Amino acid sequence: MSDPLTGSGAAPVDGAAPRLVVGSLGSHRVAAVHLDGITKRYGRVVACDGVDLTLERGRVHGVLGENGAGKSTLMKILIGLVQPDAGSIAVHGAPKVIADPLAAADLGIAMVHQHYSLVEPLTVWENVILGERVRLDRAQACERVAAISARYGLGVDPLATVSRLTAGQRQRVEIIKCLRREPEIIVFDEPTSVLTPAESEQLFSVLRAVVVEEHRAVALVSHKLDEIIHATDEVTIMRGGRVVDRLATSAATASSLAQSMVGRPVSLRSEAAALGLIETVAEVASDEHAEAAVEAPVVLEVRGATVRDRDGRVLLDDLSIAVRRGEIVGLAGVEGNGQRALADVLSSLIPLDDGEVLVAGARVVTDRPGALGAAGVGVIPEDRHDSGCVLDLTVAENLVLADLRPVSKVGLLDRKAMEARATELMRAFEIQAASPHAMMRSLSGGNQQRVVLARELSANPRVLIAAQPTHGLDVGAIEYMTARLRAAAADGVAVLLISTELEEVLTLADRVCVIHRGRIVGEMSAQDADVERLGLLMGGAAA
Amino acid sequence: MTATTSSGAAPAVVPPEGSPPSAAAPTPRRTSRWRRAVPIAITYIVSVAVALALCALLVSITGGSASEVFSALIDGSLRSPGAWGLTVNTAAPLLCVAIGTIWAGKAGLSNIGQEGQVLLGAAGTAYLATRLEGPGFFVIVVSLAGGVVVGGLWALLAAVMKYTRNVPEVISTLLLYFIAIQMTDYALTKRWLLASLSTDSRVNNGQPIKSDARLPTFEIFGNSISVGAVIAVVLTALIAFALARTTTGFRLRMLGLNPRTARRAGVSAALVGGTALAVSGATAGLAGAIWLTGGVPGDRFTSNMSSNIGWQGLLVALLARQRALLAIPMAFVFAVLRTGSQFLSATGVDRRIADVVQAMLVLALLVPPAIQEIQRRRAKGEVVA
Repeated sequence: MSDPLTGSGAAPVDGAAPRLVVGSLGSHRVAAVHLDGITKRYGRVVACDGVDLTLERGRVHGVLGENGAGKSTLMKILIGLVQPDAGSIAVHGAPKVIADPLAAADLGIAMVHQHYSLVEPLTVWENVILGERVRLDRAQACERVAAISARYGLGVDPLATVSRLTAGQRQRVEIIKCLRREPEIIVFDEPTSVLTPAESEQLFSVLRAVVVEEHRAVALVSHKLDEIIHATDEVTIMRGGRVVDRLATSAATASSLAQSMVGRPVSLRSEAAALGLIETVAEVASDEHAEAAVEAPVVLEVRGATVRDRDGRVLLDDLSIAVRRGEIVGLAGVEGNGQRALADVLSSLIPLDDGEVLVAGARVVTDRPGALGAAGVGVIPEDRHDSGCVLDLTVAENLVLADLRPVSKVGLLDRKAMEARATELMRAFEIQAASPHAMMRSLSGGNQQRVVLARELSANPRVLIAAQPTHGLDVGAIEYMTARLRAAAADGVAVLLISTELEEVLTLADRVCVIHRGRIVGEMSAQDADVERLGLLMGGAAA
Repeated sequence: MTATTSSGAAPAVVPPEGSPPSAAAPTPRRTSRWRRAVPIAITYIVSVAVALALCALLVSITGGSASEVFSALIDGSLRSPGAWGLTVNTAAPLLCVAIGTIWAGKAGLSNIGQEGQVLLGAAGTAYLATRLEGPGFFVIVVSLAGGVVVGGLWALLAAVMKYTRNVPEVISTLLLYFIAIQMTDYALTKRWLLASLSTDSRVNNGQPIKSDARLPTFEIFGNSISVGAVIAVVLTALIAFALARTTTGFRLRMLGLNPRTARRAGVSAALVGGTALAVSGATAGLAGAIWLTGGVPGDRFTSNMSSNIGWQGLLVALLARQRALLAIPMAFVFAVLRTGSQFLSATGVDRRIADVVQAMLVLALLVPPAIQEIQRRRAKGEVVA
């Protein structure tokens, strides 16, 4: 192979052939990194338990596991963010201690993080050289960025301002930041979570180029089965901190992978959807319930909603959407296309600049705090710490904070009533907390989410907005959440599901709307939904 | 909420399945609180000891006797006859300022212009108390109320700027102090405002307040205590209760802890926050009123008569770390330093040295909470990362 450092400048070739090429290299494989018996404990929780992992040059190695399976911890150990309690790391056969990310960089290990660390007001080249301790040379930096961009077909303009880039473009900037140091070992952590299907394709072709042309080792961390199958050569499956399986990807099927990842046959549709097993979509839509909903009255209606941010950028652009009684409407879209603004409007957090919101036919003002909540709109926010709960109040207080009337008399809080209500809701929603007086902060993420769910549903809402309700939850919690959403719809609540996971939308929703740049660009019943067309709409292509 | 209330009402809870038995929970919690209290006490002792040592050094370098100085501090504030009554009367306005600051702080607002609010509160009270005719009780009540209203309105200006124009209250409240001091000094030059009516007055002094318009006092063991102290303590108890047990207090705390969740739950930041800022101004105004009518030298309004009551009340609130009831002992500690160092300068130590000694001791009391806060943030940061 040519020396990767010189860089041939060739654009990546198409995606089909490379896998064969990789196979042919098998005879002279070198273990780029070998992790041996890595163990990491946090208190009583064992995040990694004797994990072995070998990354080889010229191969894409998938690391598959649910949230909390230990894959992130393992990768943090690899790039020096976390120190293991036991086990050893060998880089190119030599044992190493990776004390911090700088040490990892010196060993040629780099990571493209799930959450970007870019300075938005700066340009691409400024972001790329940020942190380098050399003299600032704009022309040279731009040239380097352009060269890397050309070599991998990234199409990134070094002079563009980051704040104006889409999520996919930003990720490519992160990739350039990572590749400019010519690392030999690259970790991609959940890289597709903010990308459209087309952008994901493009990412995988870059990944191929890096592996095949330049003979680097890549680890792809993901909980999505389809991308593991699509983009990796071999896969390590983790569950509960242990490696449960390791095999060549060609020998795996989606359902076999799912089974080893979850530890039992995957039956629930929602569960399958959460994992990216989308074959089941076609059968979903035949719910009789969906047809009944078509007749039902519209409970939530948003008409011509327009919102601009402080700089005048349009967040919602004449958006209209309606949800009927007992119906689940899925709002699909790539992150950052106005979903957050819509949820904020429906939480009375930001006012509409134009347009109106009607609940059960009555207009609700959007600039008065709590007006939508009072009108019967429950919200499970995307970021519960931001607007769903108060971490420094108790569980009991969090369960009543939206409406104090049932637990107060003439302005005085009735502590007994609060406690009784909390105990009841904790039982009904299976909330695990030491007591109703435990601080919200002390609860696990899943239990915090249940507190929010319990509060919103116990208020008997007419409308429920669920924004990314299963984000960051494990399979059990996902199952619980989806069952609750379905039950709410069956009780006649109009449910608006805002999600960037297309599969989740397709399995749960009766009707799907697609949001792009603050507008609804397409709408279809779940029966007629086809993934390809939805993908195109999400990416902004005309329907 | 404070830890005190959450463990005080030992809850009878049915533990959810899988959680550790709750019967075992209270005991380790209590011991761990003791374990935390010990290092806190040690940091207080160490930092006060260091400050005392530095003060002793300073006093001896400047030619004084350290032991005499410290003995004078205690004499002036506590030991000499009638001294602790004086200290209690000094603590009362400090406590009023602090409790309002805590109320605003719970709503997430930093009022730092109490000095001006105290000054204007005193000015409002002085205006009414020197002009109103009628029975003493009536004059006292109305003039105190006037001070409360003026202080509150002054802080309300900052609230209006904050919620209509996004002017940070930290800046506006502070700058309003400078306006307040110019306004009151101007008022002291005009007879129709605050200036003394007697023609022989050389400097710009206010008209003396008649004795029946001053706050009544009562005697305890030869110490004369002003009714102002009772007002301050009752006010503190009321605010502590409101924070812990009322829906208003709950909504206020929610606003301070998470404004977006509060907004979603129907708490209007402009209404609840604006009121909280006005309330903190009002209690500062009350502090000024109590200070003026509770035995200030000359019983009259004078230029800059707030004499650091506002700043020190702010420090009391800082030291009490948002705990309403803790403000009572903290206000007393500050009052001890204040009266003690006044006595100190009376014993012949240079006034400026006495001021430095007082400031050092105040700093010593502020260091431990700062250390705790840093530790708390570090701990939080680790959990997040």
